Formats: sequence, structure tokens, C-alpha cells
Amino acid sequence: MTVSPTATVFVVDDYAPVRRSISRVLHAAGFAVAAFPSAEEFLVQYDPHTLGCLVLDVAMPSLDGLELQDILAKAGSVLPIIFLTGTADIPKSVQAMKHGASDFLTKPVNDEELLAAVRAAIEKNRDRLREQAELSEIRERLATLTPREREVLEYVVAGKLNKQIAGDLGTVEQTVKIHRAHVMQKMRVQSVAELVRLTQRCGISAR
Amino acid sequence: MSWITIVWSMNAGACFVLAAVCFVVWCKQRESWPHLLFACSAVAAACIALIELAMLRGKTVGQYAELIRWIHVPVWVLTLSFVAFVRLYLRAGRRWLAWSIYGLRTFVLILNFILTPNINFRQITSIRQFSWWGGEVISVPIGVANPWGMLSSLSLLLLLVFFVDATITVWRRGDRLRALFVGGSMIFGAILAWHVPLVIWGVIEIPFFLGFAYSGIVAAMGYELCSDMARTVQLARELEASDKRLNLAAESADLGLWEWDIVRDQIWITDKGRSLFGFEPSEKLDFDRFRSGLHPEDRGSVLKAVENSLRTGAEYRSEFRIVLPNEQLRWIVGRGHVEFNSEGQPVRMRGASLDITKRKQAELEAARQRNEMVHLSRVTMLGELSGSIAHELNLPLSAILWNAQAAQRVLANGNADLAEVREILNDIVSEDQRAGEVICHLRLWLKKGEVQQHSLHINEVVQDVLKLIRSDLVNQKVTVDCELARNVPTVTGDPVQLQQVLLNLVVNACDAMVDCNTPERRLVIRTGTENGNGAVLVSVTDRGGSIPEEKMEQIFEPFFTTKAKGMGLGLSVCHTIIVAHRGKLWATNNVDRGATFYFSLPINGSEAANN
Repeated sequence: MTVSPTATVFVVDDYAPVRRSISRVLHAAGFAVAAFPSAEEFLVQYDPHTLGCLVLDVAMPSLDGLELQDILAKAGSVLPIIFLTGTADIPKSVQAMKHGASDFLTKPVNDEELLAAVRAAIEKNRDRLREQAELSEIRERLATLTPREREVLEYVVAGKLNKQIAGDLGTVEQTVKIHRAHVMQKMRVQSVAELVRLTQRCGISAR
Repeated sequence: MSWITIVWSMNAGACFVLAAVCFVVWCKQRESWPHLLFACSAVAAACIALIELAMLRGKTVGQYAELIRWIHVPVWVLTLSFVAFVRLYLRAGRRWLAWSIYGLRTFVLILNFILTPNINFRQITSIRQFSWWGGEVISVPIGVANPWGMLSSLSLLLLLVFFVDATITVWRRGDRLRALFVGGSMIFGAILAWHVPLVIWGVIEIPFFLGFAYSGIVAAMGYELCSDMARTVQLARELEASDKRLNLAAESADLGLWEWDIVRDQIWITDKGRSLFGFEPSEKLDFDRFRSGLHPEDRGSVLKAVENSLRTGAEYRSEFRIVLPNEQLRWIVGRGHVEFNSEGQPVRMRGASLDITKRKQAELEAARQRNEMVHLSRVTMLGELSGSIAHELNLPLSAILWNAQAAQRVLANGNADLAEVREILNDIVSEDQRAGEVICHLRLWLKKGEVQQHSLHINEVVQDVLKLIRSDLVNQKVTVDCELARNVPTVTGDPVQLQQVLLNLVVNACDAMVDCNTPERRLVIRTGTENGNGAVLVSVTDRGGSIPEEKMEQIFEPFFTTKAKGMGLGLSVCHTIIVAHRGKLWATNNVDRGATFYFSLPINGSEAANN
């Protein structure tokens, strides 16, 4: 199964031969690879919008794998992390999984297993990125609404009639009808149901 | 029987007996010249007494004259031998006096036989016979004195002076008793001898009794001889007692006493010694026999020690093994003392040997157990680091696996880039070698072999240890700063044991910093030379807690630990190892925080590092 050429697997490991060999496996399986000898260097070069996943060594001097995970989480990254460790360290693996790791593998691991984890991670990343993109698009649309229109939106998704909305806002029904039309047009939806779905995704509550 | 006959004969007899005794003594002890000289003088005195007896019975002038002539011979013998005796026995009397007496007396003797009838009388006119005590009839010569006789008198005077001088010397020496008896009787005799010229000059009319002048000496010498004999008996008894005591001591201490006559190459040894060395009870022993019983490996050092003692006179001491006839081994310690003659040649060596097999076995056993302990500690440490070591092996293994699997994929993909495959294979090989090194290192660590003596660069030891513990350090987030001096001299030692020490110190340092914040977890390893001591110094500095001052010495004792787990043997084993390498191990608290552990090792070829 091939993936789109923009999927990059990031590899962070302080041990060069491991870095090189993982890169070769991934490369031979058709992935683009970006390898870094340390977490700091990775952070410098990483573009959060890249589709891909991170294959991360746990034990590294200065910034280790778990610390990098926390940093990425704090920055709101959706990059899936596949941890690689040389020792079967249960506390560390539990912590990694709790903090949202995609997988936790113990070296030496078979190339098939590694590739499967990578593919799953990339798919997850693809979905998340798509979702992120969609959300940001929705937010863009919302940003085009005027404050009045925004208010109307909130009443509409609550299921209120135009008459009621006019009464609550202190304006006439006709104005409300005009605002409502603008909202539907700017938000590019055909029905109220669609609008409700969009606002729910954005986390806008009904008034 | 006339009493004169009896008395003069008794005198002669006593002199003969004493002479005989002294002669026998001299025969047994050829160096004892005084005894021979005394024997001669006593014989001479006896002859004089006998001749005087004949003179007293003398009937004719001619007879008398001949007797006086011939008496000079024993007189000469007596004078010379007695003067020499005094010089040798009493070690007194001036030399020039003695020689002038010899010369004069000899001259007198020669003159005596040249002149007629003799030196004392120009002419003997008649023999006068008169009655004396007890109704005895004795003969006395009447005649004209010979002026040459004065020489004889002069020699007598010199003799007296000589005796007085000798007695004074002996008295001054502190030998009061001897001065009194021997010296006194000599002087008395010399004075008595003056009756001879007096009779010759016709001053008094008494029989000659020169023989009796000697009696005092006989008595004195007889007394000396008796007391000598008594003392000898006592000495013999004391010697026997002392000998018994010595033997008893040697027996109870299991000592074998021996004596080696170097000149004749014969060895005398007590029975205990014989059984100790496995010699036959009646075997003749010489140095070669001793040598052949030595263990081949120890022969060199024993011979060297013996040769050194013979050459320098130093006490002989060596420990060695002997091979008994039944192939059994025994450890012996030998101590001895060499005696030299006046030319500085060694003539005798006396000493004692002791069986120390038990002690030696105990020593060897203790050393073996120490080695076991060191090994055990090492294996335990390795066990505690097993996670780290497994990780060290895991890395190359993972790299090998992925490289191989990548190569498989590349080849399966069809358009294989051979250059890349070659690179992959190179990586596999080098990773395999790396893993092999780790295994090798482990094997060395787990081995229990003999302690090695290699020439080492201490910086390499540090690097090897860091390789072993790398993963653990990363895990515990400890940073290691290495300040390794360049051009550190080499030391001699066992690389594995020294790594063990360093590893222990590093592990301890990490444990000490467990409660520190991550940035504080720093460890510094330094190598360098210790100024002025000819030693290499290694230190491990941490930033953990301090060691209480009063426990500074205690931490190196076995079973001392402040950790929750572990037996507390690590530092005591380190101490054992460093001491075996003739180095020193100690710790100090740092000025700011934490502690530093130091150990020093002597540089190759220098003496042990002493502080």
C-alpha cells in the first residue's frame, strides 16, 4: 500500500546505526524519512503541518522521549508518536500510553511490526490533520460573521423561531430573517441541521 | 731410706706427673702451647732435682764437677721454657727482657761446656761432707768460683725482674688471684734460686735445692689445673643442661636446627630437622642434597638468598617449598647466620628451619577467598547493571535486524542499488563487532581467572567503564564530565579489577545523586599524576550528599552500607583490589556539596604509592 508522497516519518534516536537502519527500512517501504540525533534538533526543524508520524527513542541524554512527548502535547501537536525502547520498562510505557502515544515497541522489533505501527500512525495523523483543517475552515467561516449574525446563529441552533429570536434580540422578525440568510450563506450550509453539526464540532453552545 | 732421697724424689716425681698431665692436654689441644712449654719446664725441673740428688751423694770432685756441668742443660731448658710459658700463658712480661734472658742463658750454656770444669767453678778443690738434719750426710763443693759464673747470676737477676714485671702486669689486669698464686710462686722461686750462687761463693753451706724453687710453681700450676678441670666439669654440665634446654625448645617449636660447614660442605642437622626435610636418619648431607630437595620453582630464590648471605653477611631468610620423597609438598621458612674467618671467608652457617605449611596454606586460602569475594562482587555488580548491559546489546542487535530487513526489502523492490546494499552490509558487520566487544567485555568480567598484570593506560580503563554503564547513566539522567589528562604514565594491573573499582565508584556516585534535580546530576571523572609520588591519581566527584566525617574510614569496611539494598561490600572490595595493586583508596567531602573518591596507583616501575 503506498501512501501519498507528503507523508514523512520522523526518526529521533541518539544512536547513529539504529537511526540509519530504521531509516533504511522505512525508505525501502516507500516512506520519506527525516532523522534527527536529538529531540532538540527535531524541534528546531519540525513543521507541525507535515503529514507523518514520529518514531522516538525513549532513553536519550538531556531531553528524553517522554519529555519530548510532553513538550509536543503542550504545543497542541497531533503528531502520533511511536516509542522505541531498549528495555522493557513498564512505568515508562504506561506513562507514554497515558499521555497519548500511538504505540510503545521494544527493540529489537520486526520490520513488519514497525511498519504496521507507522502506517496506522500515519492514517491517524491523516485523519487528525484533516479534522484540524476542517475545523480551522469552519472557524474561518465563523470569523466572517458579524457579531449580530453570530448571536442569531446561536439562537438558530437552539431551535428558536424567528419570532422568538426577534423578541429576544429586540428587533423585528424581518431583520432576523435577513441575518439568518446571511449566516446560512456565510457558513455555506443548506439546512439548520448541518449548521447545528458544524457548530457542535466547533464547540459553540446553543443559547 | 734417707729422707733426702725421698723428698728430692718426691719433688721430681711431682714435676714428672704434672709434666705428663700437661703433655697429654697439649696432645689433645695442639694449639695450647703453654701446656707443652710447662711440660718441658716441669720435666727440666724434675731432672734438676734428680741431678741435685746425685750431687748430694757425690763422692768425688770429678763426679761433682761433671754433675754441675750437666745440670746447666735442664736449667737452660727450664729457664727458656718457663719464660716462654709465662709470656704465653700469663700474656705478660716484656719481650726484650724475655729475649735477653734467652740469649744470656744460651750463652751461659755454651760457655759452660767450653770452660772446664764448668762455668760456676774455676776449680773444685774438694768435697766436704757434713751432717745435716736427720743425720743425713750430704756433699758440698768447695772451690774457686769462676768469674764467668756472674753471667749465670745475672740471668737469674733478669729472671727475677721478668717475673716481677709479669706479676705486676697480671695484677694490674685485675687477675688478682692468678697474680698472687702463679706470680707469687714464680717470684718466690726466683728468689730461692739465689741460694745457688751463694753456695758457690761459699757464703752458705746448704745442699742445692733448685728443684724446690720450682715446687711453688708446681703447686700453683697444679692448683690452676685442678680448678680448670673443676670448671671444665661444671661447664660441661652447664653445656649439657643448656643443650637439653635448646633441644627441648626446638622440639616444642618444631624447629629443625642445622649447621652447614661451608669449607667441608657438610651439613649437621637435628633429628627433628631430618624428619622436617625428609632426609634419611643416617644420610650424609651436603648443600647439593639440600638443593635437590627444593621445589624447582623456589630453587632460584633460595639460592639467591643463600648467596647473598654468604657474600654480604646479611641474615639469611627465605620461604620455600620442598618436595618430600613421597611427592608431598611442604612449606619451610629458614633463617640463618653466617660466620666468617679472619680473612673474611664464610666458614659456617648456622640456622633453624620451621614448617609453615599450615600458615602458608591459610595465607593462600585467604588470598583465594579474597579473590572469590572480588569476583563475586563483580558478578553482583554486573547483575545489577544487567538492564544497562542488555540495552547495550540491544542497540547493535536492533540495528543489525533492521539493516538486514531493509536490505531484504531493497532487493525485493527490484531496482536494488548495490552501493546501498554494500553500505548496509558494512553497517551490519560493524554493529556485530560492537556487540561482540560487549560480549567479550562481559566474559572478562564474569571470568574468575588469575589476577592479571598488564601495562595499562588508565584513561582507557575509564572509557571502557563508561561504555559498560552508558545506558544506566542515560536512564538516570546523569551527565559525566571526563577530565582525563593526556600523557598519563602507564600502570601495571588487572584491567577488569580496576574497571570494577571505577564502576563501583561511579555507581555509588549515581546512587548518591538520586535525590538531586536533573541539572545537578553531574559526575566528574579526572585522571592525572600525583605530584612527587610517582603515582597515577583517579578521582570520581559527585554532587550528592556528604559523607559524615567520623565515618570516612568506616565506609571502606565490609558490610557497611547506607543504602536500602546491597550488602555494603562494594567499597571494601575496591579497597582490597587497590591495596593488591599497591595503591591507595580514600574519600573526601567536597567544599560545596557531594564527595570525591580518589585512588592512586604506582606508575610502572616505581615503588608503591605511599602517602
